Amino acid sequence: MEVLYLLIPLSVTLVFLIGAAFWWSVRSGQFDDLEGPAHRILSDDDSPG
Amino acid sequence: MGVAQAIRAAGLDRFYRRREATDGITRVEPAAADSFAISADSAEAAGLILHVGGDLRETSLLIEGIHCGACVWLIETYLARRPGVVQATVNLATHRARVRWDARRATLADVLRAIASIGYRAHPYDSLRREMQMRREWRALLARTALALLAMMQVMMFALPGYTSTDGVDPEHRALLDWASLALTMPVVFYCAAPFFAGAWRDLRLGKLGMDVPVALGVGGAFVASAWSTLESGGPVYYDSVTMFVALLSVARLFELHARRRAGAAIEAIARDVPEVAERLIDPADTSKTERVAARQLCPGDRIRVAAGAPIAADGTVVDGRSSVEEAMLTGESWPRARMAGDRVLAGSLNRESPLIVRVDAVGEGTAAAGLARMIERAANARPRIALLADRVAGNFVAALLAIAAATAIVWSCVDPSRVLTVTLAVLVVSCPCALSLATPATLAAAAGAAARRRIFTVRSNAWESLARVTHVVFDKTGTLTKGQLSLASVDLLAGHDRSRCVAIAAALESGSMHPIADALQREMAEARQRPMAETLHEQSGAPIVPKSAIVLCDGIVAVPGSGVEATVDGRVHRFGRPEWVGALHREAMPAPARAMSADAISVALADDDGWIAWFAFSDAVRPGAAELVAQLRGMHIGVSLSSGDRAETVAHVAQTIGITDFRGDAQPSAKLEHVASLQRQGAVVAMVGDGINDAPSLAGADVSLSFGTASTLAQWTADVVLVNDDLRGVAQSIAGARRTLRVIRQNLAWAFAYNLVAIPLAASGQLTPLAAALGMSLSSLFVVANALRLAR
Repeated sequence: MEVLYLLIPLSVTLVFLIGAAFWWSVRSGQFDDLEGPAHRILSDDDSPG
Repeated sequence: MGVAQAIRAAGLDRFYRRREATDGITRVEPAAADSFAISADSAEAAGLILHVGGDLRETSLLIEGIHCGACVWLIETYLARRPGVVQATVNLATHRARVRWDARRATLADVLRAIASIGYRAHPYDSLRREMQMRREWRALLARTALALLAMMQVMMFALPGYTSTDGVDPEHRALLDWASLALTMPVVFYCAAPFFAGAWRDLRLGKLGMDVPVALGVGGAFVASAWSTLESGGPVYYDSVTMFVALLSVARLFELHARRRAGAAIEAIARDVPEVAERLIDPADTSKTERVAARQLCPGDRIRVAAGAPIAADGTVVDGRSSVEEAMLTGESWPRARMAGDRVLAGSLNRESPLIVRVDAVGEGTAAAGLARMIERAANARPRIALLADRVAGNFVAALLAIAAATAIVWSCVDPSRVLTVTLAVLVVSCPCALSLATPATLAAAAGAAARRRIFTVRSNAWESLARVTHVVFDKTGTLTKGQLSLASVDLLAGHDRSRCVAIAAALESGSMHPIADALQREMAEARQRPMAETLHEQSGAPIVPKSAIVLCDGIVAVPGSGVEATVDGRVHRFGRPEWVGALHREAMPAPARAMSADAISVALADDDGWIAWFAFSDAVRPGAAELVAQLRGMHIGVSLSSGDRAETVAHVAQTIGITDFRGDAQPSAKLEHVASLQRQGAVVAMVGDGINDAPSLAGADVSLSFGTASTLAQWTADVVLVNDDLRGVAQSIAGARRTLRVIRQNLAWAFAYNLVAIPLAASGQLTPLAAALGMSLSSLFVVANALRLAR
């Protein structure tokens, strides 16, 4: 069971990494509009933004 | 030259001070007090402060940090006690406060400082900042929730061996698991749960026990006990309970915020119904030269030009021009009314036909629309006291809990001093009112989610409670039970004319008009173009797809406001409009069908110089499903009545069509509110369904109010529930949903109380094993959440 000493810290690190990635994606506004993008793909307007 | 230098050179470097003082700081430090004066100055400069007679000033403030009805009460009573503050009202749904103060005895800076001193942040209201604040709140909560959920999953994994192994985890591995859990729980407690601690701290400082206090106590107590076990004693740990509790509460708050954000997008500005810009005549005698000015800069006596199709910016008297004006938003009257020189017009009503010159009589706070807004505020303020009740119950529970914990500590210090800390903490942890404080928010969140899928949005979270207890529903007519727009009900033909030809002529005559009748004819034409296509094709192959009768060329269209339209079609003069005026063209007697028209319809005649051609009846069609809804509500033992500002006979006709026996017409907004209040005095719990500005006071005064996605912003602003898809069936659905919700809340509360009743004595007597405490706590929370999720199916 020595491997636990590697795996458990690893899992904690992973949680923090995922948490940081999500925190960054929220900060950068990717979750500000949860409905608009679903409709945007249907519109013919190709201009960015 | 850089931007910074430019700003400095222009003497505007206070911009930086202001920016520092107001952006992104979550705590208000005494050192930043200067910022209040600055933001008060900038509010003054931006024209956000209204002068309302004498030295009285009024402004709207946006307040951050409001969670519940108790916050509203606190801010209102605290502000009202400040010297110089005349009146303060806070709206829970929009987080806006209206404050009125005496400029001789107080300044806006004093008001802002007073609000900051009780732990809220206030900004002079502008919609941009509202948007930014909403976004910040959303992002922070989303990040907190996600982190808590992630940590919860992982900590559960680490807790699993403790639950599943039969002979216990060996101490070394257990220490490893505990340390890992501690590492994951720390950010949850210090970051994700921070808002709960902040709320609890504010409550305590003000000497009251709100819902945040038991939450903070539970989270803090369990965390401290677990950390102490891990560092020192090796006793029981509750990390899984802590993270789960924080995660579930955050999810509940996230759902609530999401629902509010969606509904709030539509609710934004009350002021949008009254235009912000007016065209003022530079010289009262010359109607051709105008300047554009802000509506609030108008003074009584100014003359403004109102273009056809534009809303009117101020209450006033028509000096020149004839037109019809739609006041449906203010009065509920569905037909436009003719207005000519000498008639009064109201701010917020719509000029439909031709330009008017209006002398301004009242602006801003003096207008009828502003009077309505004040009526709404008064009515709304009488209500949210119910929200305080839940908080008081929680407060009593916490007080009792603290007493039990203290008693336990005292008793155990006599019996066995070495176990005082463990046992007292066990009491605090096991009774941590997780289930109790999750019971309501989790259920409400699940219910709101289920309703949102049916496009029903609850703006205020306490709407469900009132909705479930509803015993009487009061409907508005125009726009609620009816579509709120005219449609062609029937055409009576005279002397062998063709129906589609007559409709086409009428539509052509009205083609330049903004009148609702013109809209109705256009819709009729559009439908007709789709309908007879098959028949036309089949008459003769290769024939034009549009029937010949539909092509009408007319010229010389002359609109006579209040009477009708005249034009030449195929070389003959045609008139379309009020029967008396149309009859004047050929002087023939009115035919029989004219008198047989039903009371709710508006009848319009078409004639040429030879005689009558056709009679049109237009009416405001009843929405599909209205009659079924009334029957359904009756089946749920709910009384139904109809209260409308429209003409009494029209109201009676609609009421009979859909089976409502209790109805009243010609009702002013105040009469509607009185109707609601009299029902309430008889003990009824009243739900009001309406869509217009004229409904807003009664929407605010009713126990719970429903409005539609297409309703005026003011109506949505005062409504508790918004039916976005305009489906009348949503009314019965939301009441049924609310009843189910309340039942689940009761089950959850009963469970939570029963659990505490069993667990607390066990813990206080030192009988509870760590495993049982953790399991009981987790299971009771899980049960509550699972029970709540039944609603989301």
